[in-house]
Amino acid sequence: MGRTLRTLAFLLAAVPVGALALGVLIAGWVAVSVLAITPLVVPALVAFRAAVGGVARLDGEIANGLLQTSVRPPLRSAGSRGFWHAGLNVLRDGAFWRQQAYLLARLSLGFGAAVAEWSLLAASLGSLTLPIWYRWSAPDLGSRHVDTLGRALLGVPVGIVGLVIALLLVRPLAAVSRLLVVRLLGGGEAGDREPSSEERRRSLAVHAAAYATLNLALTLIWALTSRGYFWPEWTFIALGLPLAVHALSEVAAERVSPTRRSLAVHGGAAASAAVFFSLIWAVTSRGYYWPVWPIIVLALSVGIHAISEYGRRGRRISELESTRAAAVEQQETELERIERDLHDGAQARLVALGMSLGMAEQKLATDPAAAQELLAEARKGTREALEELRSLARGIHPPVLADRGLEAAIAALANRTPLQVNVAVDVPRRPPRPVETAAYFVAAEALANTGKHAHATQVDIAVHEEGDALVVQIVDDGDGGADPGGGGLRGLARRIEALDGRLDVISPAGGPTTIRAVIPCGS
Amino acid sequence: MRVVIAEDLALLRDGLTRLLRDNGFDVVAAVADGTALVTTVLLERPDVAIVDVRLPPTFRDEGVRAALMLRERAPDTGVLIVSQYVEQAYASELLADGRGGLGYLLKDRIMDVDDFVAAVHRVGSGGTALDPEVVAQLLSRRKPLDVLTPRELEVLALMAEGRSNTAIAKQLVLTVGAVEKHVASILTKLRLPPSSEDHRRVLAVLAYLRGGAD
Repeated sequence: MGRTLRTLAFLLAAVPVGALALGVLIAGWVAVSVLAITPLVVPALVAFRAAVGGVARLDGEIANGLLQTSVRPPLRSAGSRGFWHAGLNVLRDGAFWRQQAYLLARLSLGFGAAVAEWSLLAASLGSLTLPIWYRWSAPDLGSRHVDTLGRALLGVPVGIVGLVIALLLVRPLAAVSRLLVVRLLGGGEAGDREPSSEERRRSLAVHAAAYATLNLALTLIWALTSRGYFWPEWTFIALGLPLAVHALSEVAAERVSPTRRSLAVHGGAAASAAVFFSLIWAVTSRGYYWPVWPIIVLALSVGIHAISEYGRRGRRISELESTRAAAVEQQETELERIERDLHDGAQARLVALGMSLGMAEQKLATDPAAAQELLAEARKGTREALEELRSLARGIHPPVLADRGLEAAIAALANRTPLQVNVAVDVPRRPPRPVETAAYFVAAEALANTGKHAHATQVDIAVHEEGDALVVQIVDDGDGGADPGGGGLRGLARRIEALDGRLDVISPAGGPTTIRAVIPCGS
Repeated sequence: MRVVIAEDLALLRDGLTRLLRDNGFDVVAAVADGTALVTTVLLERPDVAIVDVRLPPTFRDEGVRAALMLRERAPDTGVLIVSQYVEQAYASELLADGRGGLGYLLKDRIMDVDDFVAAVHRVGSGGTALDPEVVAQLLSRRKPLDVLTPRELEVLALMAEGRSNTAIAKQLVLTVGAVEKHVASILTKLRLPPSSEDHRRVLAVLAYLRGGAD
């Protein structure tokens, strides 16, 4: 009984929710189509997406309460950051399209089911109670006017049959509703991660299939009924625009390089809108070709977008040129340093070693005791040379980083310094190697500086992910005053800028010093 | 004592073979990669396998992984890892099973031939040989060691390397009796069970130190 009442309540909710959804969908798509000629289309899309998500979540909560589902439709679309990308993310979000499909179903099928079921229920109850109230307001039952008790009693079996049918319908209606809710609103926390290309392709296929099925059904209804004015053309056109935009953003995502993607989608959406307006013109008056005006504005907006895009690309190119030059110079400096270290260190030691061995050879026959001393010296020299080569190799690329990742490598760094170091590395996925190496050297350089200059006792190293970037932060309790223009930090900054990252050094006199690097992991 | 060597650089492989033969070891095979090492050891069952960390095909930690596999599949064979660098992370992985017959040394230590030969013997007979650098890394992370005197810390470090009381006494120029007294005091302070057997005592100390490393 309780379940039946809950299902009936859920069906009834289709009336307010359907009205709300209809308003949101019409207002949203009108706003998006109109604003498609300005950059405001992006915030409009994001707001529209949130509104659709909001209605979907509201109805999802109603379903969770009444149909025992557990869905939580997302309100936002995940994906790369950036202004134009925000719009693109919405268009590529399968959950967004599924939510719209759900709301469309809810406001058409759901609304119909609610009206049918509740009308049947009301009529049956009315029939059943006919013997009680026929006196005050005699209705017509079939062709007969109900004005005697005998005739009124005939309403009872009719009412019972109606009631039984209505109650039998409750369970399948609940099952279909639950299926729609779970399939279209549940499944995959799409708000948390970017959907795979497989999932996106599938959601586009479902969208296209739903479009085809709905229009086919409406055409059939048209064919079986009046066959007068071909009214289904309006759903062909109205639902065609969202499908075209959806398909377009998918094709762009698959085929177009990320830098041109937003422009390609914008151009394609403008073309779809032009076709949309032209179709409306074609099925209506066909008089004066009014779509020429929106088409001009659309073309203008795409043009402005293209110009700003190419301008942005120009700025990006000069930025890349300067960071590349810095990276090349940094590499040069680095190679020079390695060469000098080898020359002054290991090479010099090997020369000294050769000399000791030569002298030992000379003295072997005449003065074995002195020869032994020279040999011992040679061995000591060898060990020192090895020591130097090892630290040089570690400075180029520490083996443990490649073998065991950031956490082990930074822990090893911490082991080698006399400072008290707390290491907290929270990086579930291994970042790309250049990013990992850069992050390691941020920690290494910061620790070395702290050890040399800061008079610190404690250092905290934290590495974590923030969006698609890796963040390394080193805080010491020393006396500050680190110079970001100093050799080590400057080289580090160049290395990180070459990866499109940023290095911040906050080190007021008196301390503490915070060094923070944000390195994008690329996409 | 029968030895198998795994080292990909021919220069070092031949040098090591000669050094060990000169010192009375029976080098039954010298191979160049991890797979050959595992097969040879399973076939020959030597007393010790001396393994380089970097081996083909990946040139990363192939040797450590081969060693871990040998620890499981040939428990009677001691494994002595030699490397151009030592990492506490690897030492922890190797020591995780808490058994002896294990060594992890810098290649530099081979130059101290007598010491190195003693280490191979120790590993072959179920003892341990840890590089002083690994021990230093282990010690640097352990705060409660403040309770030890500087002398006791020295003794503890040598103990962790796997040396016997006699060897420690020689190194620190002490009498064996004095070393025994220090060892007893260390074990009491760290609340470790006393044991007359060198190998087992070393393992207890290492377990204690690694416990602090986690």
